[in-house]
Amino acid sequence: MKRIVLLAATLALVLPALSSDEGAVKKRRPLPFEYGRVVLNSYSEKSALAPVVFDHWRHRAKFSCRVCHVDIGFAMKAGATGINAADNMRGYYCGTCHNGKSVFDGQTLFQACSKTLSDEDRMRCERCHSYGQSDRGDADFLRFAQALPKERFGNGLDWQQAEELGIIHPADFVPGISIKRKSLTIQQDFALSPKLQGMPDIIFSHKKHTVWNGCELCHPEIFVGVKRGTTRYSMVGIFEGKYCGVCHNTVAFPLTDCQRCHSKPMQAEGKG
Amino acid sequence: MKSAILFFAILTVAIPWCAGQNAPSANSSATDVEEWQKQFDQVCSKTQDAMTFSAEELKSLIQKCDALEPQIQKLDETRKKVFLRRLEQCRGLYTYVLESKEKDKK
Repeated sequence: MKRIVLLAATLALVLPALSSDEGAVKKRRPLPFEYGRVVLNSYSEKSALAPVVFDHWRHRAKFSCRVCHVDIGFAMKAGATGINAADNMRGYYCGTCHNGKSVFDGQTLFQACSKTLSDEDRMRCERCHSYGQSDRGDADFLRFAQALPKERFGNGLDWQQAEELGIIHPADFVPGISIKRKSLTIQQDFALSPKLQGMPDIIFSHKKHTVWNGCELCHPEIFVGVKRGTTRYSMVGIFEGKYCGVCHNTVAFPLTDCQRCHSKPMQAEGKG
Repeated sequence: MKSAILFFAILTVAIPWCAGQNAPSANSSATDVEEWQKQFDQVCSKTQDAMTFSAEELKSLIQKCDALEPQIQKLDETRKKVFLRRLEQCRGLYTYVLESKEKDKK
């Protein structure tokens, strides 16, 4: 009887401690080649396939955000689009480019999905349905990143500078999918004052953002407030994945890179 | 001989017809762009200029988006999914700019 009481007492102490440890698991910071990785599993495992691993870095060097998230129609949240193999085979979503015919950088892009399943097809499936398989992204990324200007966080790359230097040329038009638009009238940059005293103002560059995103990617889906000052942005909300946090912390440079947004030079006190 | 010619003629007519029954691929040529898509392209190609439009022009664009929705609802599952999202983004932007302009007036 004593033993049973002792065992029960030990369990009563140990189990809550174990469960609280589980809840406090620290999230591992993604490695540069993993940053921006999205795992898609709406239908994969139900179809006895590994989930799809999508690395943003492989695509963002070649296309603007708008091409995929406006013209092709990918949602901004992983899994929200509900892509299936039939969609790809009809030539939409991944199948827009990955159709076995489109040529990019002198290479024919592999077909995303097909009805047949030979051994060769299986290898092709595993190019995307690769979750849980040995990662080849590291070596590919190192090769890719060699020529690009470096940054501290995220992918460890300065994508904006890479484009300005002409190292990458993200296309903003896919024939048959994108609509021909006039070039964009750039809205002026503006400053936002943070609530925290002593923190430099945020300089929001419309130019930097509209070149890659257009207008309709951000407004009104991400930024709803129509008049400046009506929406109270907070770092808590942004860290939770709202507003700037939709992209910055997932694909674009992370929120730990404070001074890339809080960039207005501070004036020294007493100078006049 | 006659039956062979007849068979060949039927094939010539039937094959292109059958091909036309499949959902068109995303990269269909400019000649087979459907009417709804022409309207869609026309309406949603102006998002770049949204800020320069008057309230009346924006209202007219929103109405055109609303008129397109029932046509897109009739498409196959994939195209419906793709184009409803695109239409929502495009209509959303025009509505956003219109509201912004109306608030600025007040």
